[in-house]
Amino acid sequence: MMKLPQHPHPEIIRQLSRRRFLGGATGLGGAALASLLARHTQAAPLPGLPHFAPKAKRAIYLHMVGAPPQQETFDYKPGMEAWFDKELPQSIRQGQRLTTMTSNQSRFPIAPSTFKFAQHGSNGAWISELLPYTAKMADDICIIRSMHTEAINHEPAITFIQSGNMIPGKPCIGSWIAYGLGSMNEDLPTFVVMNAMHTHPRANVQAISARLWSAGFLSGQYAGVALRSGGDPVLYINNPEGVPPEVRRQMLDGVGALNELEYQRLADEETRVRTAQYEMAFRMQASVPELTDLSKEPESVYQMYGEEARKPGTFAYTALMARRLAERGVRFVQVYHRGWDVHGNLPEVLPAQCKDIDQPVWALVQDLKQRGMLEDTLVIWGGEFGRTIYSQGRLTAKDYGRDHHPRCFSLWLAGGGVKGGVVYGETDEFSYNIVKDPVHVRDLQATLLHLFGIQHERFTYKYQGLDQKLTGVEKASVVKKILA
Amino acid sequence: MTRTLLLLTGLIVTTSLRAETVDFQRDVRPILSDACYHCHGPDKESRMADLRLDQAKEVFASRRTGAPVVRGKPDESLIWQRINHKSPALRMPPVAAHKVLTDEQKLTLRRWIEQGARWEEHWAYKKPARPALPKVSQQDWARNPIDRFVLARLEAAGLKPAPEAPRTTLIRRAALDLTGLPPKPEEVEAFARDQTPDAFEKLIDRYLASPHYGEHRARYWLDAARYGDTHGIHHDNRRQMWPWRDWVIHAFNQNMPFDRFTIEQLAGDLLPNRTLEQQIATGFHRNAMTTNEAGAIEEEFAAIYAKDRADTTSAVWLGLTLGCATCHDHKFDPLTQRDFYALTAFFNNTTQPVMDGNIADSPPVIAVPAGEDRSRWEQLDSLRRELRDKLAAAHATADAGFEAWLRGAERRRTAAPFDAARQLFALDAPRTPATGGVYLTGSNVTGWPALEFMGQGLLELPNVQAMRLDQPFSISAYVRAPLDEGRFVIASQSDAGDKGRGWQIDISGRVPGMRITGDEGRSISVRGGFLVQLKPGAWNHLVFSYDGAGHPGSLTLYVNGREVEIAGRDNDAPGISGSINSGRPLVLGNEAKTYFHTGAIADFRIFDRALGAAEARYLAAWPVVENARGKDSAGLSPDERDALRTTYLLRHSTSYRGWVAQLNEVERLRTLVARRSPTTHVMDERPGQMPSAHLLIRGMYDQPGEKLTPDVPGVLPRMKPAYPKNRLGLAQWLMDEDHPLTARVTVNRMWQEVFGRGFVSTADDFGSQGEMPTHPELLDWLAVDFRESGWDVKRFYKMLLTSATYRQSARTTAEKQKLDPDNRLLSRGPRFRMDAEMVRDTALAASGLLKPAIGGPSVRPYQPEGVWEAVAMLGSNTRFYKPDTDDGLYRRSVYWFWKRSAPPASLDIFNAPSREICTVQRERTNTPLQALVTMNDVQFVEAARHLAQRAMLVTERDRARQFDFLGRAVLGRSFEAPEQEILLRSYRSFLNYYDARPEEAKKLLGTGASGRDDRINAAELAALTMVANQVFNLDEALNK
Repeated sequence: MMKLPQHPHPEIIRQLSRRRFLGGATGLGGAALASLLARHTQAAPLPGLPHFAPKAKRAIYLHMVGAPPQQETFDYKPGMEAWFDKELPQSIRQGQRLTTMTSNQSRFPIAPSTFKFAQHGSNGAWISELLPYTAKMADDICIIRSMHTEAINHEPAITFIQSGNMIPGKPCIGSWIAYGLGSMNEDLPTFVVMNAMHTHPRANVQAISARLWSAGFLSGQYAGVALRSGGDPVLYINNPEGVPPEVRRQMLDGVGALNELEYQRLADEETRVRTAQYEMAFRMQASVPELTDLSKEPESVYQMYGEEARKPGTFAYTALMARRLAERGVRFVQVYHRGWDVHGNLPEVLPAQCKDIDQPVWALVQDLKQRGMLEDTLVIWGGEFGRTIYSQGRLTAKDYGRDHHPRCFSLWLAGGGVKGGVVYGETDEFSYNIVKDPVHVRDLQATLLHLFGIQHERFTYKYQGLDQKLTGVEKASVVKKILA
Repeated sequence: MTRTLLLLTGLIVTTSLRAETVDFQRDVRPILSDACYHCHGPDKESRMADLRLDQAKEVFASRRTGAPVVRGKPDESLIWQRINHKSPALRMPPVAAHKVLTDEQKLTLRRWIEQGARWEEHWAYKKPARPALPKVSQQDWARNPIDRFVLARLEAAGLKPAPEAPRTTLIRRAALDLTGLPPKPEEVEAFARDQTPDAFEKLIDRYLASPHYGEHRARYWLDAARYGDTHGIHHDNRRQMWPWRDWVIHAFNQNMPFDRFTIEQLAGDLLPNRTLEQQIATGFHRNAMTTNEAGAIEEEFAAIYAKDRADTTSAVWLGLTLGCATCHDHKFDPLTQRDFYALTAFFNNTTQPVMDGNIADSPPVIAVPAGEDRSRWEQLDSLRRELRDKLAAAHATADAGFEAWLRGAERRRTAAPFDAARQLFALDAPRTPATGGVYLTGSNVTGWPALEFMGQGLLELPNVQAMRLDQPFSISAYVRAPLDEGRFVIASQSDAGDKGRGWQIDISGRVPGMRITGDEGRSISVRGGFLVQLKPGAWNHLVFSYDGAGHPGSLTLYVNGREVEIAGRDNDAPGISGSINSGRPLVLGNEAKTYFHTGAIADFRIFDRALGAAEARYLAAWPVVENARGKDSAGLSPDERDALRTTYLLRHSTSYRGWVAQLNEVERLRTLVARRSPTTHVMDERPGQMPSAHLLIRGMYDQPGEKLTPDVPGVLPRMKPAYPKNRLGLAQWLMDEDHPLTARVTVNRMWQEVFGRGFVSTADDFGSQGEMPTHPELLDWLAVDFRESGWDVKRFYKMLLTSATYRQSARTTAEKQKLDPDNRLLSRGPRFRMDAEMVRDTALAASGLLKPAIGGPSVRPYQPEGVWEAVAMLGSNTRFYKPDTDDGLYRRSVYWFWKRSAPPASLDIFNAPSREICTVQRERTNTPLQALVTMNDVQFVEAARHLAQRAMLVTERDRARQFDFLGRAVLGRSFEAPEQEILLRSYRSFLNYYDARPEEAKKLLGTGASGRDDRINAAELAALTMVANQVFNLDEALNK
């Protein structure tokens, strides 16, 4: 990276806090430059945050969009073979609502998983044969089999688990964390989002949208920044063709000098803040290529993550990139992997979906561990709801599908203050209702904040006259039993 | 205690905004609201100790342990005792509330009680009165009443206004505030030359008259109305809505009074003799996001839509967060859950289906003919009315000929509704050869013989002549829908092995549809009659009429003799061509896997022409005619008489037949016009049904409670008895002269557009948790003045922009930084970073690339690849973003195609909202990502190149003049000497680089689709391009 030449007012640039760098400067007017300068150059969390010593400094959230079936992954129901093609008992369904994709089915025939399970780890966790690598790290992860949610369709359910509300407009988890805890680096965003490709051509793909990484009513500076696998990795990060860094540097020197004259005319502190933002942008232009340059990763890394990790956009590549982001002090990495919506062709599509992610998630956890980062990096893996034990559409010995099921689903956590080798919660023999230790989406969110040293009830933002919280107005509890 | 007070007094002195006398509205209520109302406020569910502190009668009432507030006696007041209680367990607010009162807040409460505890209703619920202009000491500053209020406030704070801004600043500020575009250099020069005293007024009049004024104003309104070009949820497919956007632009340009603007958008369809324009206006609430996600539960989304409409109406006109009362009564404002659902009721009675069908024209929609078509359309409409009247009159007038005919024999011989020769096919049910699963039965509605289908029964009829794509035809039948819900094919003549070539009619989700498939499997299809609903087991008459043009708009559908609203007439969708002759038999029942089990068909006919409304009605009535055949004329029911009358008139009245033919022709011509016209989503009230809504318990869609009729929130004035209890009444109520909120909320928002922040900084919350106004008297004065001016919007902006307040320089001082850091007191002129669209439009305009056309379909400027694809579903028709290649690249940003799950990337980075929900106040951040946009986005680099080229075409050698050209284009001013020096230094370093590397220069100059002038030296142009890039990135360029 080239050396930065002298800037017209380097003192300001150096001392402006990281928080101010990332924005929010307009409306800051009140805080005159004096108070800007008083801030430290490092990350500035909100006053009073964290509430107590955090276990997690950063998180990597791997969202499996479309909702993986718990029956084929972590919620082993050996008794179901005997129930093949039999009707789901009314005593289990209890008249609960169904989506309109199956609500007019005349039958609800039970479809046992066609995949085998075995026990793994010191705790004997049952894990499906579709996830052999995940199984190898059973002692690193905490499997929650008793997740439940309130939404029955993807859009609302994804929005709910990401933002605590089914209706768009609320900030997502990453934005809350960025808002509360600030950044840990000088030249990359605090909150980064990546979309990973799925590989099976017949996978049923659900929509995601920018609202999932939006800052809602929080300042837009806390929105997730998309790190893309094609084109500019960060939108507009690359100079136009024919403009090398030195020309950009000269251009910015001129901008800084001219802005300084403008500042002398009007004395608006915002002018200097803008110059500072341009310098930050310039530094990002240098650091993003360094981030995305994988040429220095040794062969051993590809042995861990798999050869797919060389291909931009694959889940393996994204997992490796997540580690690189975490290493560079990015606080919250959100990964979306789509294609899990197995309404039909489950036995054909699901193995491919699992294969996309299995080795890379194992590699990610092991990689963080070997770098000593797992203890303060929380990894989350899971979808937005579960799937029905009964088949959607035709059930045969070899083919079936599963509809949406909000009443229970499985998800795992690793690192960041979560106990490994734990299986938490239980569902009934049909994996239909939870019978022990239910964990609501809000409880998960409260737990996540807790790991970051934040008491969810006290972490609020005033909007529309209300003290808004990630966990909303209903009760939410930290799942204490899974904390290390 | 006294000592504590003395210590605390120090705090008060340092707080500049605190006056000596405590003001209940400004100082006290916000504390009570924030710290107490959660448990002692309007929401009865969360109320503790049965105590309300938001109502005077409880605040001052005696309780067992005393009164919460004893006027003049803080130490006897329970409030004071409890907020200072020694025991933390009894101290208010409780620990669990996570609220802490500061010493200053406590002292404010104490002083309020000491000073007599004056109690007033929340200011925003009281009708504003026009206050007298305050006295000021500086006599020569104020230009209009605004300034008197502003100056009085400044003088009270010990501040002086800033001097007037230089003329170059003024014209740039005014041009940007009124048109969203920078002034043209020649306008700047003319303004500098104009020494007349009213030069600035004249300038403002010119900008107010510019067609770009409406574009700029509309942009703010589009945020509030959550306008988008896609449905927003799930597939997020295209939605055709831009005629509404153009309506808004034109409304602002015509200076439509704000009351009319409101009424037409909320209820234009309910106005007497509504015009097409008034219908277009009702798109306001059709902008809301909709879904078509498989599996979605309709009731759930109906509740979500209802909430969105109530939230939006409330934020835009009432400035209230009524949505907080969705699940329970409002915690802070006297708004009940009943209020919320009663407001949703106003909007609950339209014909809009919940599922949008993933199509661009989800009903109800209207065609919006443009130019000459508009008058043609109107002529056709009046002609249609005339002909319909004539036909109706023919039925209503006494006719001796008809009476004689009734008694005669002819009607008993009539075997077919129309001339049998023009019938391509007619099902003769009784003579149909029996096959398995198909049985002869009767229709219990008409007594007509019918075929009933059981199990896998179907009927193949070979030798039925195939229809042609280029010839009109119609299919008519009575159909009894099967007893199951689902999708069923009624009849078809198609070949699955040939990509479905042919046609089929079906019922899906109780709604009939037809698909016609030509070459290469390409098809057109319609579905309609969402409100009629073909209920399982019920008989309905269907007519599908095809005009022979192969276009999606070629099909018309009549259910029970009436034309129904159709979805899928997407004018932008391609038509089909080739043959629809599948060579297959006509199949009644079904050839697909679900079969027509328990369904029935009667009187199935195919005609060789496109049947019109009168004929469709007659066909639906035909079984009645059949039925009446044996009856005596005296024994006929009114229906039978009417059906027979049609038979008589069609057979014996030349003029009647002529009118029917003319009406068909009018319909055909209308279809032709509609086909080349855009459509737009509108609201249409359900006929014969009163609006209502259920209160949803805890906001849950599946827990409906009490049924409510529409009403306005109880804390606000009642609707006048003369107002209808529908959207029109609601709109009229909003514009009532007694309404305390509409005018205030509106002027506050308009002020916010110009000054960056309103008097009430929470533009969508004027309730008790919202911010108190900085200038309450000025806000009220402007509100009353705006209303009394006849809601004259242009007049408002003119008054605002000609004020001395507006003309101030933006220069700040150390004193102002301290006493008025955020310019809330308006001690200087407005200066802040422009909104996303203005940043882009300014670059386009200054560079000369802008294509200034007004209105039309949305366009696709440059956007990096993959932005849409990253979020879209595979089947979405907005999955791939393909930038335009022509003018669309250079149109104003208000026309940028808005995909709501991935809004325009460069605008998004500059805080443009996603338009998923109503936004009345944009955020304004400054981030490095924004710097990357204006430095690197092809749009901005191309603008820099084009601007540099224009500068070089003016003068090839004179650098100073070139820089001057850039400055005047972008900043509206010439550069000063020190600036010239910096620019020259930059220029030389750029030139050094490009002189040595012609290839690099060429690469830079290749940016963007517009061509470059090859006569210009490439290295020099590249260097000047970078200088222009520098100028576009100046703080001054990004600020208004």
